[in-house]
Amino acid sequence: MNAISSFFRGPYYIALYTYREGIRRKMLIGFLVLSLLVIFGSSFISSFLDPSAETDIDLKLIKDICVAAISIFGVLITVYISASVVPNEIENKVIYTVLSKPVGRMQYLLGKFMGAQLIIIVNLLLMGGLFFMALYLRQGIMPTLLLWSILLTYFEFLIVSAFTFAISCAATTSLVPIMGGLFVYITGNLTEYLKDVENRASQTTEWLDMIIGKVATGLYAVLPNLQNFSLKTQIVNGQPNDPLLDVFIPSLLLYGSIYGLAGFLCAYVIFWRKEV
Amino acid sequence: MSTAISTQNLTKIYEGALRGQDVHALNELSLDVEEGEIFGYLGPNGSGKTTTIKMLLGLIFPTQGTIKIFGNSAISSAAVKKNIGYLPEGAYYPDFLRGEEILSYYGKLYGLRGSDLKKRIDATMDMVGMQHARKRLLRGYSKGMRQRIGLAQALISDPKLLILDEPTTGLDPIARKEIRDILLRLREEGKTLLISSHELLEVELMSNRVGILYNGTLQTIGSVDELLVKREMTVSVDGIDDGIASELSSRGITVEDRTGGRATLRIGSTLSIYDAIELCKSKSLELNSVAPRRETLEELFVRVIGAAEADRR
Ligand SMILES: Nc1ncnc2c1ncn2[C@@H]1O[C@H](COP(=O)(O)OP(=O)(O)OP(=O)(O)O)[C@@H](O)[C@H]1O
Ligand SMILES: [Mg+2]
Repeated sequence: MNAISSFFRGPYYIALYTYREGIRRKMLIGFLVLSLLVIFGSSFISSFLDPSAETDIDLKLIKDICVAAISIFGVLITVYISASVVPNEIENKVIYTVLSKPVGRMQYLLGKFMGAQLIIIVNLLLMGGLFFMALYLRQGIMPTLLLWSILLTYFEFLIVSAFTFAISCAATTSLVPIMGGLFVYITGNLTEYLKDVENRASQTTEWLDMIIGKVATGLYAVLPNLQNFSLKTQIVNGQPNDPLLDVFIPSLLLYGSIYGLAGFLCAYVIFWRKEV
Repeated sequence: MSTAISTQNLTKIYEGALRGQDVHALNELSLDVEEGEIFGYLGPNGSGKTTTIKMLLGLIFPTQGTIKIFGNSAISSAAVKKNIGYLPEGAYYPDFLRGEEILSYYGKLYGLRGSDLKKRIDATMDMVGMQHARKRLLRGYSKGMRQRIGLAQALISDPKLLILDEPTTGLDPIARKEIRDILLRLREEGKTLLISSHELLEVELMSNRVGILYNGTLQTIGSVDELLVKREMTVSVDGIDDGIASELSSRGITVEDRTGGRATLRIGSTLSIYDAIELCKSKSLELNSVAPRRETLEELFVRVIGAAEADRR
């Protein structure tokens, strides 16, 4: 027990430090302010205009915008922060002073990763919280569906974050991992198309098509399917307190955690002998 | 006395993208730093000092060779690292924190907590003379103040071994003297210090031993007293003029520090001191003093590097 708590003490301080350092980044604050403006603007302002003339279509549009804003700005924040916590510290050489302390590389990475997660969670709670309030004030119904959605969105971001983080451990600047992270996010949301490609390729005997089919099958097997984490259709079309349809939360959380862990382990494999 | 740092055939090659672009930064360095000494690690820019230091701290990894710190070769283990304080070259310290918050962060990474941590922060702040600015944000620190905080974070755990990469770069003469006094005091407390520096006078004043590195190879190593032999005499005289000066020069005497008729003559190895004094007498120069002269570290450095450069060609 003592050994475990002393192992996690270093990562804990590093995570707190990373959080304090990270939330000051101008880029991050910019993303957050923009997203809050979009959510606030679309939901609150319209409610002041003429509440009586409100139609379902309006509400749908607003929900659509807000859900999109949370995922777009959320993923930008996730990718940006996951891509930069380590390269940034290599660049300004703070890493020298930290790694020369009695802190192992695993502990260091764990601290950095946890710090990034803290930032992602806080931002997601701010954005989701505002949207939650907007919906609640407007309809007077507890938007419980949204709470599930925020939870699932975090696990989606965890996957994106872990792989971005792994790429960032191989890089010296944050540009490449940012691109990589966005790539993971985009392809992770397109995996259904890979299934399509696979199906179509299996209908021909052309060798090139077959290779493409095999690649698609491989990618489909390896890439996380991020669409699983989206409750967008249900949120936009249903009532805010509808029960969850077609999703089993525990298995999705497990799915997200496994991919997150895999990404983190990749990061460690890359980092443990990295020359800084 | 035991050995604090010991390297055997330590070699570092930075691999380039192409075969010919490899950088041989360090070649077969075998070096022992004894406990309780100040070791001056010298060498021109790019000679491999920082490379050596980063390998000692496990920030980069040797291509070949071994390192032992206090006899332990597991240099990346917490057990070894808790005895080491490190001041990196030209490091940056987080701007958004207060001086004392930085020390607290690094102190916690060493495992210090509670009142122990408080005491250590207080003691190191005192030691580096930053007590007055400890509550200020680093953003408002001058270069010298940052360097002091850097030194303080290296000292926070009261480590047995200090590895300082250019600790006085960018400091004014008073601050340098203060830092030097701190380092000397640390040695008195029994600490071991490895200091890389370009400030040769400073190193000469502090170090027990020095090593001079050139192009990745250790050229010279030894105690300051051994290396800086008293091999020349100086004679200071009055009544010199241009004619006499040029004649003395042609006899192998170096005329230095000439102000009007007063000058210091450095008697090289070509002439005995008696002959030199005879010569002065024959020129009717007035003798002020005759004294042995110890070579300065700077002269040794220039000589050693000059020889190594000539060898290389
Ligand atoms: N990461 C790296 N990749 C490639 N080459 C490197 C790297 N770091 C250092 N070098 C090279 O290794 C050699 C030694 O560099 P090092 O930084 O150890 O010198 P130094 O003695 O500390 O110099 P200075 O006095 O300027 O600080 C130099 O030729 C340098 O260009
Ligand atoms: Mg250097």
